[in-house]
Amino acid sequence: MLSINNLNRSDFQYHPYHLVTPSPWPLMISISLFCFVIGAVLYMHGYPYSLVGATFRLGFINTAATMYFWLTDVTNEGTLNGDHTKEVVKGLLIGFLLFLVSELFVFVSVFWAYFHSSLVAAIEIGGIWPPLAIIALDPYGIPLLNTIVLLSSGSTVTMGHHAVLKRDRRYSIWGLLLTIILAIFFTGLQYFEYVNATFTIADSVFGSVFYCSTGLHGLHVLVGTGMLLSSFVRLVNYHFTDSHHQGLESGILYWHFVDVVWLFLYVAVYYWGGL
Amino acid sequence: MLNASLRAVRPVALRVTRSAQLSAIRALSTTSAVRSDHPPPPAIFGPGAKPGELATDEQQATGLERLQLLAEMQGVDAFDKAPLDSSRVGTLEDPIKVFSLDTERLVGCTGSPADSHDIHWFQLRKDKNRRCPECGSVYALDHQGHSDVHHH
Repeated sequence: MLSINNLNRSDFQYHPYHLVTPSPWPLMISISLFCFVIGAVLYMHGYPYSLVGATFRLGFINTAATMYFWLTDVTNEGTLNGDHTKEVVKGLLIGFLLFLVSELFVFVSVFWAYFHSSLVAAIEIGGIWPPLAIIALDPYGIPLLNTIVLLSSGSTVTMGHHAVLKRDRRYSIWGLLLTIILAIFFTGLQYFEYVNATFTIADSVFGSVFYCSTGLHGLHVLVGTGMLLSSFVRLVNYHFTDSHHQGLESGILYWHFVDVVWLFLYVAVYYWGGL
Repeated sequence: MLNASLRAVRPVALRVTRSAQLSAIRALSTTSAVRSDHPPPPAIFGPGAKPGELATDEQQATGLERLQLLAEMQGVDAFDKAPLDSSRVGTLEDPIKVFSLDTERLVGCTGSPADSHDIHWFQLRKDKNRRCPECGSVYALDHQGHSDVHHH
């Protein structure tokens, strides 16, 4: 192993920060997201499939591909080039925490809409919540199972994280794998419930706010699963060390965030709103 | 002094510098540069993790991250993040020394004691001392890098 004494200090930059080099991905993601959004808007407004299909699919595929290429770049910069010094990692952590705060307020706005409509139910929906003739989901059925599944996944991800900190590769892989399996199980149960629900997104403000809140949460579950999945692949490929695994830590933070939002959803929307 | 000892091995340094300059002219993305037939070798790397084991930073950290780690293990700071000496006003005979690995460095003066006046930024070059236009404090570049390096 080389010692720092054998290195010429002036071959390395004199500051710990990572000044990123030109990259095509910010431009690519802008174009892809624009295409994706336009496709989605056209779809929601009933434009012909010949127009919508190509735009929507192109937007989706390009967004997914650009995310992959960009995040692969970041991974290589951190893992293979060693650009992520302690200061850079701190910046990544703070950036992610700020992102979580902005996410929190997205959910605050959705919950605001829910309580606005449910606490003093309008006369148009019968003055009651759930609205007249709406059959809400049984909170003691699949939603309760989903709560248990998500809380369990929170404990398995903690097990995996502690195994990483203790340099136990076997258990860290098992912990993450179990979490991902539980996450996919949760998504499957939500899909099953959506398919079998007696109301749609067009059935009164109840349907709208129900699918908007649980759907937004479901999208976050998908993103969280993706983060944990990429961390799993990186863990198997020896990217992480016991003290430097910011990608995994961000995924874990995100997963706990999704977990907590579900608890609020379960109590407010499924339990209080369904009885 | 760390910096003096660091300058000991010149040939290794030159080789590393060359590769650093090559990687500066890089492809559109980091990944393609790393995966290409001639990827720039990481300047420093450890033995890596044993199969079936989760690595420590000491085993696996590379590049600048490893430099920081090695410096920490020696009890020195690899990066200069402390503010410049503002305990006195620099004079022509005894200017404030500004350590630099490049032939020029951006200096911000707030006078002596610190924050006595609004910050004044100026470019300090190797061959010429500069005076702060506000408080008159003189600064001199203490150049410790290669004389021929002029990238970034």
